[in-house]
Parts: sequence; C-alpha cells; structure tokens
Amino acid sequence: MSLTITCPICGKRNGYEFRYGGEDKEKRPEEDMFTSRAWCSYVHMNKSVAGTQKEWWCHKDGCGAWFAIYRDTTTNLEVSDPNEDGSKAKA
Amino acid sequence: MFGKFKRLWAKQPLKKSYDAVIIGGGLHGLATAFFLARNYAMTDVAVIEKRYIGYGGAGRNTAIVRANQRTQENLPLYKEGLDFWPILTKELDFNLMFYNCGNLNLAHSEAALKALRLQVTSAQFHGINSQLVDPKECKALIPALDISDRPTYPIFGGMYHPPGGIVRHDAVVWGLAKGAAKLGVHIHQQTEVTGIEVENQKIVSVDTSNGKISTPRVLNAAGGYSAAVSYHMLGIRLPISVLTIQAMVTHPLKPLLNHVVSSGAYHVYANQTLKGEIATGSHMDPWPNYTTQTSAYYIKHQAEALTKLMPCLKGVKFMRSWAGLADMTPDMAPIMDGNYPLEGYYMDCGWGYFGFKSSAVTGKYMAQFMATGECPDILKPFELRRFEHHRLMGETPAVVEYSPNN
Ligand SMILES: Cc1cc2nc3c(=O)[nH]c(=O)nc-3n(C[C@H](O)[C@H](O)[C@H](O)COP(=O)(O)OP(=O)(O)OC[C@H]3O[C@@H](n4cnc5c(N)ncnc54)[C@H](O)[C@@H]3O)c2cc1C
Ligand SMILES: [Zn+2]
Repeated sequence: MSLTITCPICGKRNGYEFRYGGEDKEKRPEEDMFTSRAWCSYVHMNKSVAGTQKEWWCHKDGCGAWFAIYRDTTTNLEVSDPNEDGSKAKA
Repeated sequence: MFGKFKRLWAKQPLKKSYDAVIIGGGLHGLATAFFLARNYAMTDVAVIEKRYIGYGGAGRNTAIVRANQRTQENLPLYKEGLDFWPILTKELDFNLMFYNCGNLNLAHSEAALKALRLQVTSAQFHGINSQLVDPKECKALIPALDISDRPTYPIFGGMYHPPGGIVRHDAVVWGLAKGAAKLGVHIHQQTEVTGIEVENQKIVSVDTSNGKISTPRVLNAAGGYSAAVSYHMLGIRLPISVLTIQAMVTHPLKPLLNHVVSSGAYHVYANQTLKGEIATGSHMDPWPNYTTQTSAYYIKHQAEALTKLMPCLKGVKFMRSWAGLADMTPDMAPIMDGNYPLEGYYMDCGWGYFGFKSSAVTGKYMAQFMATGECPDILKPFELRRFEHHRLMGETPAVVEYSPNN
C-alpha cells in the first residue's frame, strides 16, 4: 500500500524509506518501578486502533531522524494532530 | 438450469439472549459454534458477523495447510489440525477439497538449511513426516525449479513435508455454517458487535447494530479486528499488530506445480489450484494498517520472485490480486485464553497469516473451553499471560520476516 510520510527534516517522502517504530505509548518503565507486567505493556501491548493513531517512525533510508506523526490506519493517510484541529488530512 | 437453490443455513431473528455469543463469522468463530452444538449440546449460540461469513481472512487466504512448525507447543495442535481435514469432510458431509500434495520450503543459504534442520527434527519428534532434501531432490519434486547457480539466491536444499497441501477455504466456511445452523446455531450476518458490557468483572451482554443480547459468554474471534475490538470495547490491549497481506492468482495453466512451494529469501510462496491457477503471495506491509489494499510495488516483486524460482512462468499473467488482514503477535503464535481478565470473556485471535490450517481443530478445543470453563491442556501454552511471563514461543515465520517487530 502506498504511503507518504513527512519527515521533519527532509519533508514528504515515500513511506518505504521509513521504518515503523510502534504506537506512541506510556513512558518506558523506570528500573526501580520495574514489574514484568509494566515491561510487557510497554514492549508488547498495542491499541491497534482502526482510525487515527499517534506513532513513531525512523527515516532509515534518509536522515535517520526519529519522530512521531498521526496516521489514519484505515486509509494509510497522514493526518494532523486530532487534538489540535480535528482529523483533517494534511495538504 | 440448476433448478431451485436451497439456502445452506436459515436466517433467524436475533434473540434477546443467548448462552454464548461469538464475534466474527470467520473460520474460528464458525468452528467453535459448530463444536459447541455438536459436542456439548450448546445450541443456544449466536455467531455475529458484521459483513457476511467468510468476509475476513476466511475467504481471502491462500488455503495452505501444513504441520511442520518449529516449537513443541505449536506442533501438536497443527498436527491434529492437519489430520482433521479428512475427518471433518466426512463429519460435515461437505466436499472440503483437501489436496495433500505436500509442501516444499526452499533454503537459499547454509544458515537457512541449518534452521530447517531444527524444524525437521522437531516435527519428526512429534511423529510428523518432514524431511530435508537436496537441490536435486527439489528438482525431482518440482521440475520447473531453477536449481542452477544463476539466480541471485541459488537453492541449497529444502524441507519437504508430504502430508501438507491445500484445502478449499470457502468450502470450510460453508460446511461449518451449514453444520452449525442445522444443529440450531443462529448465524446473524450484516450485524456488527458495537460494545460489550461488563458487571463485577463478568460479561453480561453484547451490543449489536441490531440490538442488545444478554449473554454470560462471549468469544472474540474477530480476526484482523480482534485487537481493535478488545481495546475499543473492553480497554484490554493485546500484543497484536495488524498488517495487510497480499495474494494473487495467474490465469489457469496446465498442471505444472504439484506441491506447495515457498522460499524465504524470495519472500514468495505458490501453489497450483485445482483449477490450474498459480495462487501466490506473502507480501505484508511493514507498517500496521486496515486498508486491505494491494500495491503495484508488490505485483512487480511477486513476478520477479516467481520467475527467478520457476523461469517457465515468464509471460504468464496475473488475473486478480487481493489482500486481507493479518493479526500478528510477536512470537508468531496465536492467543487463546478464557475467563481472563474477565469472567466469560474468551479470545481466539492473533492467528496472523497462518490461522486457516488449524481453524477447525482449534474450534473444537475452544468449544471445550467455553462449555466447561476449563482450558484444555493443548491450548494452555497459548494464554495471553505468556507475554507477561516472558514465555514467548519462538515459532518461526513460514516465509516472511516482515513484521513491525523486526
Ligand atoms: C492473503 C492471506 C493469505 C493467507 N494464507 C493462509 C494460508 O495459506 N494458510 C493459513 O493457514 N492461513 C492463511 N491466512 C490466515 C487465515 O486466513 C486467518 O488466520 C484466518 O482466517 C483467521 O480466522 P478468524 O476466524 O480468526 O478470522 P476471519 O476469518 O478474519 O474472521 C473474522 C470475522 O470477524 C468479523 N468481524 C470483525 N469485527 C466484527 C464486529 N465488530 N462485529 C461482528 N463481526 C466482526 C469480520 O467481518 C470477519 O468476517 C491468510 C490470510 C490472508 C489475509
Ligand atoms: Zn529525514
């Protein structure tokens, strides 16, 4: 499926230049608070939203930057932050 | 010309309560419903399907069945699943078109061959017929293969698994639906589950687009949507990533491929259907999405890979391509659990791109679980808590290394 992603440094590029880095999750558990459940939640558990989600990407075949975007998983289109101005697709 | 058709299953009104509600009219949902009625006389069961039965992976898969997995936990279930097809054919009195043509997995490096050696011995340990073969034996099995050193990845050998093959997937859906309906199960198509209600940590009812149903038991068998259903309706996150996986068929050809063939290095698997088409696939999008869209990128890849392995296919045309959803777990094994974390909540999901082959036998065990409340031993290793306990299974992908986890 075709996908374009906007890198904060390089701009809008073909999605195959990027590596998916997972859903935006809770903070990595601190070592002194560490439980196997917290670790499992951080490493494995997903919301698997059918709709808009915040997620991480790495521009692996480009500048190497890590950044987060919003994407509609049912259309594969990048969208702007739904908390700011609705889920309007980016121009 | 054919006279009057009779429906395989009757349309029933949606009742206000059922003993069990099954979300999803796919392979796993229908099989569980059938065995609840047949083995446990639990006939007050509703299968709720938002589109039509077989709309999900059930009607989109490439129909490959085999039992040459790698791990001690998975092999017994898949073995029973494979042995089950002829039995189910008789039991349902429905032609499931099981064709046990055997599967050949190719290795294109010493390392790949070494990995196959472990897989072969694990299968043999469980009494499953699986053997290592050298390139000449590969060629003897499939004369169309190029075993020279010309391809980018020459063939080093393979794993041959004679009892595997293909089964007509739609027939399984229809046969199970017909069998379940005959025993009294209600199948409600065009009905979407929109919510699940819980009181005191117990399942009490299910909301659907056609009304509320009271029930003490619900099975999440929503396939590609199982993780979304679980989080959206119950707030329970699952270790699942949903990826679109593609497949395609060529025009029908005369018989030339009488085994299922797959290659990890080329990311391709293929078999010839009983009609003569080469059915082939394996590309998964490397990022989660629910689009089920196919891509030009992959059609090109597929044509290249197929003609590298079998040069005689050059010039053959693809007729159709399609895609479905794969609910992938990090250890390539499904999640089957019950009464956890809520009483009356059962799940049978995370079947990725490999959940057709043992769907019927899994339905039998899930029915046992739901009817008795006790988890059958064979399903115990697949509990959701294995991820918390760091007991991931280490099952290996059949052909693809694609997943958002690597
Ligand atoms: C292209 C492709 C090739 C594959 N090849 C193979 C193969 O060769 N061998 C193999 O063993 N496996 C293969 N698979 C995997 C296999 O098809 C799946 O693992 C299997 O279909 C899973 O069965 P299921 O019953 O869990 O889900 P599905 O068959 O997907 O059924 C789930 C059903 O739930 C319904 N549903 C979802 N949400 C709701 C809701 N809220 N309310 C009501 N209904 C809902 C859906 O409409 C769907 O009909 C392949 C899959 C794909 C996509
Ligand atoms: Zn960049």
